[in-house]
Amino acid sequence: MKQAMSRVLRRETHSSRAPLSVIAAILLGLLAVYGLLESMLRVLGQPAWLIDPLTAAQRLAGLPAGISAMLLGATGALLLLVGLIFLSHALLPGRRARHVIADPRVAVVVDDEVIASALARRTRMAAGVTREQVMVVVSARTVQVNVRPTSGIMVDEDHIRASVEAELEAMALDPAPAVVVNLARTGVVGV
Amino acid sequence: MNTTPRGFNRFMLGLLGLFMLALGAGLVLLAVVPAAGRWWQSWAEPQVRSLGGFAARTHIATSAGSWVWLVVAAVFVAVVIVSVSWIANQGKGRANVLFVAPGSAEDDGASGKVVLGTAVAEQTLKAALLERTDLLGVSVSTYDFRGQASLRVRVLPRQGVAPQDVATDIRSLVDALDTLLGVEVPVLLSIGSGARTRFTRAERVR
Repeated sequence: MKQAMSRVLRRETHSSRAPLSVIAAILLGLLAVYGLLESMLRVLGQPAWLIDPLTAAQRLAGLPAGISAMLLGATGALLLLVGLIFLSHALLPGRRARHVIADPRVAVVVDDEVIASALARRTRMAAGVTREQVMVVVSARTVQVNVRPTSGIMVDEDHIRASVEAELEAMALDPAPAVVVNLARTGVVGV
Repeated sequence: MNTTPRGFNRFMLGLLGLFMLALGAGLVLLAVVPAAGRWWQSWAEPQVRSLGGFAARTHIATSAGSWVWLVVAAVFVAVVIVSVSWIANQGKGRANVLFVAPGSAEDDGASGKVVLGTAVAEQTLKAALLERTDLLGVSVSTYDFRGQASLRVRVLPRQGVAPQDVATDIRSLVDALDTLLGVEVPVLLSIGSGARTRFTRAERVR
């Protein structure tokens, strides 16, 4: 069960590539249905719908002729780009913006957005500022806390860092991110 | 935790990607390098001519075409079947039986079996979680993961709610469920955010 759970967690923190797969399968299926139609028309000795397969093969074989080089190059470049997108989806790890909370009984994954809003709340209370003055960005290995202080009121950077780190420690995230606190050099007036 | 064929997805996407890369690179080469165009024509035209000749020699009947096109059609049918089954396999794996315990005559004198539906666990957890004001959305579903029914709990807390507190509370609920059911079902808790959490106000008082 332990092993099964770690596998479930791995699946939850990585993308399944399902949307692009469905798009690719639909495109592939439509192309194949069209090819099926034309070749069956040919088998039955009926006139072709758009182009007869043998004529299509002849056109392909004579290629740089019969089409403007500009259009051919553009088509090729487009195919190249789409192929690159597909290949990168196949090869890249595809990590989702999620962290794992270690727990012996329940496997827990948290969206980074939830972590960020919890840390923003903690920062807001530690710095004594309003919601709009705090922005927290959570990525896999770092937490960036941006605070824009109220004009004329000092905020304590070490205190903010300590309280954010304490909150992160209580969360026990895996992988554990490092905290970066940025205090804006300009303040906000009228809050 | 559904049974989406992830390895197959990546394999097919990689295959299609490589194919399109090669095709696109070939087309660009044909358009840009005249020597490549001459080489391609000198290689491909005899091939197409021999295919045409072969197709002309192998007519099935006087009015019909060659069986070559029948073979091509069969290949296309295979491609259609592969792509339809590829789509059909995405996101499958929901279960509706949580636990089966076969009874035996020597155990308690009664033969037969006990079947727990997944709705027991789903509705118990959901009813307990819907009472909370710090959670805006709760959904519980059951998936069959490697022959073992597993619960997936998705909660959408309000902005600013500490995820570890939600996790601890749900953990104690799961412990209570374990004692209620008498079996330990694997549970996945996914704490997320959606459009609803983004547009409702943060909880100020706890």
